[in-house]
Amino acid sequence: MIKADNLKKRYGNIAAVDDVSFAVEKGETFGLLGPNGAGKTTTIQLLCGLLKPDGGTVSLDGKTDPSLVEVRSSLGVVPQALAIYEELSVRQNLRFFGRMYGLSGRQLNERVDDCLEIAGLNKRSNDRASKYSGGMKRRLNMVCSFLHAPPLLLLDEPTVGVDPQSRNLIFDTIETMKNQGRTIIYTTHYMEEAQRLCDRVAILDHGKILDMDSVDNLIKKHGGPSRIEAEFEKLPSPDSIKQYIDSENIQFEESKIRFETSRPMESLAMLNRSGVRFNTLKVQTANLEDVFLNLTGRRLRD
Amino acid sequence: MKKLLFLAVKDMRVLLSDKGNIFWVFGFPVLFALFFGFMYSEAGKGPSGMKIAVVDEDKSEFSSSYISGLESDEALIVVNLNREEAIEQVRKGKVSAAVILNEGFGDGFEALFNSDEPKLEIASDPSRRMESGYLQGLLAKAQFEALGDKFADQEWLRGQIKLWRDEVGGSNALETEQSKLFLNFFDSFDTLIKDSNDGSFSAGFKGDMINFGKLDVSREYEGPISPFQITFPQVLLWGFLMCTSTFAISIVKERTDGTFDRLRIGPLGYAHILGGKGLACFITCIFIVCILFFGAKVIFKMPMGNFPLFFLGLFCTILCFVGLMMFVCTLGRTEQSVGAAGWAMLMIMGMFGGAMMPLAFMPSWLRRFSHFSPVKWGILALEGAIWRDFKFTEMISPCLVLLAIGFTFFLLGVLMLRRQDS
Repeated sequence: MIKADNLKKRYGNIAAVDDVSFAVEKGETFGLLGPNGAGKTTTIQLLCGLLKPDGGTVSLDGKTDPSLVEVRSSLGVVPQALAIYEELSVRQNLRFFGRMYGLSGRQLNERVDDCLEIAGLNKRSNDRASKYSGGMKRRLNMVCSFLHAPPLLLLDEPTVGVDPQSRNLIFDTIETMKNQGRTIIYTTHYMEEAQRLCDRVAILDHGKILDMDSVDNLIKKHGGPSRIEAEFEKLPSPDSIKQYIDSENIQFEESKIRFETSRPMESLAMLNRSGVRFNTLKVQTANLEDVFLNLTGRRLRD
Repeated sequence: MKKLLFLAVKDMRVLLSDKGNIFWVFGFPVLFALFFGFMYSEAGKGPSGMKIAVVDEDKSEFSSSYISGLESDEALIVVNLNREEAIEQVRKGKVSAAVILNEGFGDGFEALFNSDEPKLEIASDPSRRMESGYLQGLLAKAQFEALGDKFADQEWLRGQIKLWRDEVGGSNALETEQSKLFLNFFDSFDTLIKDSNDGSFSAGFKGDMINFGKLDVSREYEGPISPFQITFPQVLLWGFLMCTSTFAISIVKERTDGTFDRLRIGPLGYAHILGGKGLACFITCIFIVCILFFGAKVIFKMPMGNFPLFFLGLFCTILCFVGLMMFVCTLGRTEQSVGAAGWAMLMIMGMFGGAMMPLAFMPSWLRRFSHFSPVKWGILALEGAIWRDFKFTEMISPCLVLLAIGFTFFLLGVLMLRRQDS
């Protein structure tokens, strides 16, 4: 569906995108996860033809020039910045962008109504966009790109600065799009979003892809062990505990134990079978944050 | 073409959603038109009034007559003051100049033409040099008129001749032949005065020393010619300048807001997006013309020369300013910088192009500089159609210049935008 081959883009001495390659299959949701300045937005701009690469190629369904009108018609790009006309009403915004994509008449009206419904904006659709909250503007910003029902969606940090309610609505919308079989490229610096939405994730830092795989595989490869904290009614002897737990470093503290293991469920099942009674149990499995930390030595939001 | 129209309609909606925009684009030119229209209308009816102070230290009959001459001139408003007050008023900028008639001003020809000790002095405001030059012309005119009155006074003239006779007779510097020649001339002059006294030249020597005939260069028109005809092209050009500036800023706003990029990502060419902006600017200019033309017709009863040529001039002028708009929007990356840079550029064009001050008042080097301002060519094309009675062939040159300027700026603007966006 879309393929990036050795993409390069420099701004002076800074390599914003440095030899980035990936391929996204039809119907797949692919995440670009990285901190601010990692090169996510530049990559999206290269993919949709807003920027010309200094090197490498982008191929969309075999066509290598994303600036072609027919290629762009198949793209829906949700920019990171709010790109709506705040002076116009929500409906006027949608109608305008719909017309730019060649929609008209009944089809336009239906698509506008659908998008208003998806974004939960149908009750105040004739209000000026400037009167909306930040989250509502974000939702409008997003559905403006869905009007022409594009098969490929590029979403550049669509949840930046939104309230939890709007965030959940945006997630639901993206999941709906995903279920409809659309191909999605999603950039974010929130690992929870990438974990929830993406089939595969590329970890991006300083313009380079550090690794790329499914979330589970990335965690397995780079996430490290899970951390478990258990509090017992009566702490068993350390020796008996060590029989059940596959960990070399077990910390004992009053009635609690703490340990790290790459097989948390097995260890807990063994403990349970030994007859101990738990008061509390905390299991912190590795996540993409740990993957990023282990790959770069920094946290995602550093 | 449909998309172009939708883009233009969107821009018009955005424009009309802001009351500030509506005022500056539509309201300001109308106010400007009303102000200048009324101002020029009133100017034709009463004295235009360059205010000067006159100090009469001579207190002679001649000086009184001279001051009366100045007071009767419509171009002047005369206040009589003493020397200190007059100079103080000039210093404070309350009057354009002070005219001081020194003692001896009315002592005949010798006083008037005495180059060693001037009997008339002018103290003028250094910041109003053009008015000072104009005033000197008016003073010379009044002097000639006062002299005309003196020439009608035969007794005074005879007294002057007697003085000259005595002077020539007592002069050792002249040879006998030369003295004779002068005395013969004075005899003949005396006979002429006597003849006029007898009524053979009843008017005497009185009358306008210089008689100017006035030819109307505007086209023949059956109704009254409105002074608004003269200001109408300038007002239109101000409207176009406002429109150019507003739309240039709107392009930058779209770029900073991200909507420009959103449109670029869509299935539109660069030409579409910029063409839509240009079309919106063009349509807005047409609206401005309609509003102003309606006002000009209803309020000022402005006659229109040649409608087809007026439309041709308008078309070329607006296209030129659309091109200019495209260039202006590349002068900065923020609304503030484009607003400031664009307005400075347009103001300079307006100033040098004659939108503020008629070109005729400018020094010649500045008039040459005005050739580079599209405002000058716009005004010329519109004036040509409205009252200069231009033929089609005469319209070609300003129209081609306007189109060339517009095309060049449009091209430059598009290239610079592309460069900035790449």
